[in-house]
Amino acid sequence: MRTSNFLLLIAIIIIVLSCSSNSHSRRSKIIYWSSNNIEEIEFARYIVDSWNKNNPGDKVTFQPVPEGQSSEEVILAAVVGKTTPDIYSNMWEGDVEAYAEAGTLVALDTLSGFTDFLRERCDSSVIEEVTSLDGHIYQIPWKINPVMLLYNANIVKELGFNTAPRTYSEFFEAAKKFQKDTDGDGYVDRWFGYAEVIVTWWQRFFDFYPLYLAASNGAPLVKSNKAAFNNDAALKVFGFLRELYQKKYFAKERLSARQDVFLDGIIATRFTGSWEISHAEKFKPAGFEYNFSPMPVPDSHKGPVYTYGDPKNIVIFKTCPDPNLAWKFLKFALNEENDLKFLEITNQLPRRKDLNTNPKYASYFKKNPKMEIFAKQAKYVKGTDQSPVLKEVFDIISQEYEACVIYGKKTPQEALNDAEKAVNLLFLK
Amino acid sequence: MRKKIIPYLLVSPYIVHFIIFVAFPVGFSIYLTFNNWNIISPMEFTGLNNYKRLFQDAVFWKSIFNTLIFLAIHIPLQIIVALFLAELLNQKINFRGFFRAAFFLPVIVSGVVVTILWQQLYGFDTGLINRLLVKIGFEKIGWLTNPNWAMPSIAVMATWKNVGLYIVLFLVGLQTVPPQYYEAAELEGATHMQKFLKITLPMINPTIFMVVVLSTVGGFSLFIEPYVMTGGGPLNSTISAVLYIYKQGFFYYHMGYAATLGLFFAMLILTVVMIQKKFVEKDK
Repeated sequence: MRTSNFLLLIAIIIIVLSCSSNSHSRRSKIIYWSSNNIEEIEFARYIVDSWNKNNPGDKVTFQPVPEGQSSEEVILAAVVGKTTPDIYSNMWEGDVEAYAEAGTLVALDTLSGFTDFLRERCDSSVIEEVTSLDGHIYQIPWKINPVMLLYNANIVKELGFNTAPRTYSEFFEAAKKFQKDTDGDGYVDRWFGYAEVIVTWWQRFFDFYPLYLAASNGAPLVKSNKAAFNNDAALKVFGFLRELYQKKYFAKERLSARQDVFLDGIIATRFTGSWEISHAEKFKPAGFEYNFSPMPVPDSHKGPVYTYGDPKNIVIFKTCPDPNLAWKFLKFALNEENDLKFLEITNQLPRRKDLNTNPKYASYFKKNPKMEIFAKQAKYVKGTDQSPVLKEVFDIISQEYEACVIYGKKTPQEALNDAEKAVNLLFLK
Repeated sequence: MRKKIIPYLLVSPYIVHFIIFVAFPVGFSIYLTFNNWNIISPMEFTGLNNYKRLFQDAVFWKSIFNTLIFLAIHIPLQIIVALFLAELLNQKINFRGFFRAAFFLPVIVSGVVVTILWQQLYGFDTGLINRLLVKIGFEKIGWLTNPNWAMPSIAVMATWKNVGLYIVLFLVGLQTVPPQYYEAAELEGATHMQKFLKITLPMINPTIFMVVVLSTVGGFSLFIEPYVMTGGGPLNSTISAVLYIYKQGFFYYHMGYAATLGLFFAMLILTVVMIQKKFVEKDK
């Protein structure tokens, strides 16, 4: 081989090796992926800058989770490709168990001071919720967006109610008064509410699941690898929703492709979260009044009204070279002051038990009274059960939901029996 | 020696490509069918369990049935509409070039865009089609929300999307028919319909066959339309085999089972294509 060719070969090898060398050696000590919405990017930037200013030797860098069809898919791809960040802050609670089982997450309860931190931040029910089936904790409860009943306050007042309908009977009464065929063509075109009718599993986070948690005082869907939802609460929820569709109080047509039907007055209610506030404030017509209230419950309901909190948590991946440093950074990111900053920047609730009582947050809620409604609800939220097959469980429920609630092909009891059977089979496999 | 190596070197890019992108994925898929694998955990050997599950999976068989229903509506409709329009566009009419281009336009438009557009047209309350129906005194139809109508609605949409391509194929076929045949038939006093049935159809038979084969293979891969428009509902009435395999693989990460379904479905398509091939050979 000629000398020039040999040198060229060496140069190529050096370039290739330098491209593929482990970037950990040259980069910051900790890599942090945040969610990719604008507010959370702003918060992540703020936190990382603050940390790096005081800890120049333990530099953290962040980037928003790379674009993909969903952040869950991106994280999965990263896990498979072993290109995970050290810290990820937008992990859906329902995904954690599968990752924990696969051995890709750091058991946080093995890190010094974690258990004390968690006890200080969250109450025992939350700690129980995030404890995995193997007894370890792989996630830090970070934020929640409780699902509540959004209602058009003007319409509700016109219908003769001082507050939003609280029970199923009140809901039906209001719905009956509001439902109308406005153009006289023989078809209802003004409905009391709307929920997505498609069968996609996670759509049930915005109808069946929060209603089930409300009716059951926060009961689980699965427990000890068995279906636990075939009960009176689920029966009542299926019956309630079925009647809403049968009596055309809820639209069976997909309305999501149209202009905002809530702000247009075509529907009067929707099961949704606090993200509606900024949207409504931006686009609401003059004089439009809206508010939030807890999910409707069966008439006989007693006790607080629970709902789904849509929790997103923080995890440390096992690829992290220094989990103790990552944990030190997270303790900083989740302190009282930074949780306030998170609240102010993102208008999402940090999942901490003193949200309503800590004077640090009082001025924020005074300025944002609608967010205070969510903060009060935050005491009564549930996430998801710890199960590696949770998506399949929701999918099965969603299939039965469609057959019973939307199309009336099954009675609520038949649908629940079939769902229970299918879910139990899932655990047998 | 050098002479022996050079041919191998010349074909090596193809062989490397074939090994990486065809042989390995196919081999790996077959291996996957005997395992459970959710991508992140180690594979678990399960023998023939995935095959057993396939035969007991009612939704998969429903998805195969749905795909066949789609083909049964889509293929004849495609041929009739494409042939009719090709016959018209083969005449000396004004703006012929414009019409030819216009009918071809949906073929090059993104499938997702087309499905969203048709979703609006099919809307129950605000959809243009239902508004027209009500205007002329008919009842509204739940095009995408009624389990009996949803798949035919998707088949009509898919026909609209693809018909331009088949019009082009038929136009080519029609232009190969020698005009003397028509002249002779006219001298014998044949009507338009007789000329079409006795001359045109037999002469463009190979084109019809090609359209059937292409539509069948295309129809088997039905995915975007139900994925975007209905998500497979209502009541699984529009879940196609490919959509179901996709859901198993990329919603639930049942990679072993998805590979089993994929392999079975590939065999099914292969069988249909082989039968069609037999017909072609017989025809020759």
